Amino acid sequence: MSIELLVQALLNGFGLAMVYVLVALGLTLIFSILEIINFAHGEFYMLGGYVTYYVYALFGLNYFATLGLAILTVGLAGVVAERLIFHDLRGKALNAFIVSLGLLWVMQAGAQLAFGVLDKPVPSAFSGVVRFFGLIMSVERLVVSLSAIVLIVALYLFLRLSRPGRAMRAVAQDPDAAALQGVNIDAVSALGFGVGCALAGGAGGLLAPVFAVSPAMGALPVVKAFIIIIVGGMGSLPGAVLGGLLLGGVEGLGTLFMGSAAVNMLGFVMVIVVLLLRPRGLVGGA
Amino acid sequence: MLLELRGVSRRFGGLLAVSDLSMAIGAGTIHGLIGPNGAGKSTAFNLITGVIPLTAGEVLFKRERISGLRPSEICRRGIARTFQATALFREYTVLQNVLIGAHLVAARGLGPALFWSRGYRERERRARERGRALLSSLGLGAVAGHVAGQLPHRDQKALALAMALATGAELVILDEPLAGLTDQEKTETTNVLRRLKEQGVTVLLVEHDMKAVMGVCDTVTVLDHGVRIAEGTPREIQANPAVIEAYLGAEEPGA
Amino acid sequence: MEPRQPAAVTPTVGVALITLAIAALPLLTRDSYYLDVATTILMNLTLTMSFRLQVRTGQINMAHISFMGIGAYTSALLVTRLGLPFWATLWVGALIAALLAVPIGSVALRVSGPYYFLITFAFSEVVRLFFNNFFEDLFGGPSGLVGIPKPGRLLGMTFNSKLALYWLMAAICVVVVVALVRLDYSRFGLTAGAIRQADPVVETLGVNVFQFKLTTFVLGSFVAGLAGVFFAHYRQVLHSSDFGLEPMVLLVVFTVIGGTGSVWGPVIGTIVMTLASELLRELHHYEILVFGAVLILTMLFAPEGLVALPSATRRLLRRLFGRATEPAGARLAP
Repeated sequence: MSIELLVQALLNGFGLAMVYVLVALGLTLIFSILEIINFAHGEFYMLGGYVTYYVYALFGLNYFATLGLAILTVGLAGVVAERLIFHDLRGKALNAFIVSLGLLWVMQAGAQLAFGVLDKPVPSAFSGVVRFFGLIMSVERLVVSLSAIVLIVALYLFLRLSRPGRAMRAVAQDPDAAALQGVNIDAVSALGFGVGCALAGGAGGLLAPVFAVSPAMGALPVVKAFIIIIVGGMGSLPGAVLGGLLLGGVEGLGTLFMGSAAVNMLGFVMVIVVLLLRPRGLVGGA
Repeated sequence: MLLELRGVSRRFGGLLAVSDLSMAIGAGTIHGLIGPNGAGKSTAFNLITGVIPLTAGEVLFKRERISGLRPSEICRRGIARTFQATALFREYTVLQNVLIGAHLVAARGLGPALFWSRGYRERERRARERGRALLSSLGLGAVAGHVAGQLPHRDQKALALAMALATGAELVILDEPLAGLTDQEKTETTNVLRRLKEQGVTVLLVEHDMKAVMGVCDTVTVLDHGVRIAEGTPREIQANPAVIEAYLGAEEPGA
Repeated sequence: MEPRQPAAVTPTVGVALITLAIAALPLLTRDSYYLDVATTILMNLTLTMSFRLQVRTGQINMAHISFMGIGAYTSALLVTRLGLPFWATLWVGALIAALLAVPIGSVALRVSGPYYFLITFAFSEVVRLFFNNFFEDLFGGPSGLVGIPKPGRLLGMTFNSKLALYWLMAAICVVVVVALVRLDYSRFGLTAGAIRQADPVVETLGVNVFQFKLTTFVLGSFVAGLAGVFFAHYRQVLHSSDFGLEPMVLLVVFTVIGGTGSVWGPVIGTIVMTLASELLRELHHYEILVFGAVLILTMLFAPEGLVALPSATRRLLRRLFGRATEPAGARLAP
């Protein structure tokens, strides 16, 4: 078992992990602002995938422009969903769970009816491979990972530096104190939900060329997102990045030694271990 | 001595919230614990009732070590408490709240509840009687069927006390029982405390209202920054220069 | 400051109604399809009632269905491999489920709230993946376990017909309902609800909250195991997906839609939603769409569940027609 093989396995794992981190970040953002877990999150990812299919694959718009469009459209859809459905459910986790489940079914069945059940392939905008230090990576994967990292950094800057971003952080920390300081909780909730969904939509657009687009495509990323935020810590953004790296690394290495069924279990085993030793997650504690 | 603390300490990270605290409370007395804000009084309560673990020292109740036990076990030994932010079961009625406390005299466990035996029904009936009697003695008889979350402040505090008393505890630890009450209500409450003392119940309380504390307590311990700085009768405490020193700069004695 | 309204349905009346409905059904129809639906409702009811027992303490146990699976596979294997009679494996399966619930529950109950939800979900996935991918010669792997026989004879009665199996499930269900309703109305239920509202207080009042929650977890798992054994010998085929996220989610939906605040919530929720899904079955994709929309609307307008439908309707009407909710003086303290 050479070092190269191990590092390559790690790299393969990390490659897609960054995109799952995007999904996880969206989920954890929504959780920290509205205190609910949105089970329909994967459907917004799916929406991003379909926007990419129709606008980029069929219509022919530039890939990155399409990505931007996907992010905006899905973000808008998120705001609408929050205003119509979720805003009264702040803090009511069980009811929000059922509602988001209902939304999941509505969106998924809706997608099946509107787009058909079959997989729709999306051609890749990039071809070829890149070689460095004896390691190999497809250009497509590289672009996907780098784009995800760019979006993560953009989110970080948005939350740190912009006014709406800081308002979101204030609400996440202490909604009552934020309200007393004049922050419009309703607006922040809607915006937060929108941004969270936008991240998922962007992730869907990024992975559309990699995995093809289908109504059920959101199921796997959202499961990975859950694993990531539990391991990293719910409500923690650096935790999500750390969790993603860990999951990517563990799964990447895992495929060297065991079959895919067992690799799938690894994520859940990680969750159980973390919940036993550090229930708040590796970085959590908010 | 009913309750003894020996060298009790509690550390939170770098901060020593309670430092080497020793005190003793005699049975059938009313003992006050006072000190400026942040002195460690609530922490001391949490240590005694097992809500948080000790960093050092031990707590003895009826000469047996209770430090390290679960709060439920400590309650079974005979200590009950109220909380600073009045903690009730807000969705339940007043009577239901008291009944939860009365479980130590009622039938415990799955079996009796499942089979609804005669023994279970009998003990539940006795628990209800006891609960209603308690409520009456604290002026809550009329609101027994009301939802706890909708009670006025004074009644909520009385209910919290009733719940603690329903356990049949020998030592009742009260965290700011007079907070938010009018002067009239405070007098009523201190009278209740004196009645408890006559019935043989020992009371340990934390309070900020100095007049009330000095009026009702037999002995007082003063904490400042987690350290005991004085202990004695109300008169001795009021004359103690260290105590006066601790309060100047924090708050005025005699709220 | 109003006194609390007395419960609309007393336990005896409620249980009597349920028993009556169960007994009456075979008089109305012997149609195999309807009996099947009714049997499924009774099985789901057993599961939702035992799930709700735990929900009453504030635990949303996403591994509930896993214990159904453990009971199912245990009994299936004991009967097909060792030739043991169903009437013994019914209890062994449930007991094994309860025994395994002790360590799993002890671990899961170290955390609470959303973390408990997530850790039980993780456990349930591990269990499902285990049954799906490991020991394929025992559990059947992705193709499933087939050839499970129906229950054998008992006291001269055979259990080959749908009707007989209906009666069997009915008997199990009625016993479970009676037991759980009793528990709910007793001090046990009272303590459970108190734990959900303020568990530190319950602890300082002398109740070992961890032990209490573990008791409900193990008891719930025992009942789930019972349902699982029946499931195995009724369907005669087992697949790991029968014990995965989708059926678990349905259990949660049935319970919450019915209303977690009342012990009758699961009854209403299970019956209404099972019937609804049967009625909608013909619509395929529309079925799921409509189901989802119903979920959303119910939670938005009747968040306490169908059990509280009368008060939810009153609230909605007030909002629509804008009457003042209370006379002005009602809130003033005496």
